Amino acid sequence: MTDLARKRFAQLGQQLQYDQLGAVRRQAEGWRNGLTGLTGLVGVVFVLKGRESVAGMPGAWRWTTALLLVLAFVLLLSGALGAVRAAHGPLGRQTWLSGDRLLAAVLDEVVRTQAALIRARRLSVAGLCAIVAAIAVSWLVPVDDPANSREGGPYVLVTTAGGVRCGELVMSDATAVTIKPAKGGEYRSIPIGTVRSVTPTRRC
Amino acid sequence: MPDHVPTEFREQEVTVDPEEPFTVARSEDGRWYTVTGLCPTCRAATVFRVAYGVLGPPKRLWRRDRSEPEPLTGCIPVYCACGYPHPERPPESPDSGCGAFWDVPVPPPVHGAAS
Ligand SMILES: [Zn+2]
Ligand SMILES: [Zn+2]
Repeated sequence: MTDLARKRFAQLGQQLQYDQLGAVRRQAEGWRNGLTGLTGLVGVVFVLKGRESVAGMPGAWRWTTALLLVLAFVLLLSGALGAVRAAHGPLGRQTWLSGDRLLAAVLDEVVRTQAALIRARRLSVAGLCAIVAAIAVSWLVPVDDPANSREGGPYVLVTTAGGVRCGELVMSDATAVTIKPAKGGEYRSIPIGTVRSVTPTRRC
Repeated sequence: MPDHVPTEFREQEVTVDPEEPFTVARSEDGRWYTVTGLCPTCRAATVFRVAYGVLGPPKRLWRRDRSEPEPLTGCIPVYCACGYPHPERPPESPDSGCGAFWDVPVPPPVHGAAS
């Protein structure tokens, strides 16, 4: 009984033998291009999301953003590597180029390439989602900016001969400095004659 | 050495005469096998090489010296590449022999280091 497929694979093995160097060179080229592309990931993940955009966020959210970005980077990195592996073959894998071994290796490689591609797709999608989540967090989380904060009005410390008072500066004129105490209550006018200094402060 | 018989080109699987077995030798560095013997069809002495090369199953990554692959087991499908012209061989055929092919069992690796 003649099984021509076995002869064809034997012939393919002989051809591959002559083309070993060409094959690894082409593979190297593909991997080089893929690895060069990885540099772009750093740009996507970190430059796009500059430091200034997280600077004003509350601590917990800043950490969340940082973790999301690191997660995105890891996911995208493994996804990109997986895609390169699927496109150009794994590195350092060899077999005996006899017909039977080659047939088995080709079948295995088809299965593994598809698995690698599916994994790469999942990782890339997850990585992109992590990036979008990080950006969304930085958009939606209230920024801890003193200029915008409602409760942190401009307070002043008024030092008088009798002590120090603190409150929101209401007005100050030739006769008195008027402050509204931070904890609420009556306006308090301090005669200008007793005031030694008025110092701005962030809180009382 | 018997003379070459210009049989008609035919891609067929043939059996090896047990009287004229093929020899399978592994190279010094262990990276290729050489199968030598007489083609059962056209009687020409053929040499068939099988090398270790890219495209293979995942093997333990940190295993000993890469330059010495583990020995080949099973059979090597060998086809005739006698180099003689055979009538009826299509010009587009990559074959350079009578078209016959056959299996040559690889002897277990007794000499050299145990696998
Ligand atoms: Zn011949
Ligand atoms: Zn022959």
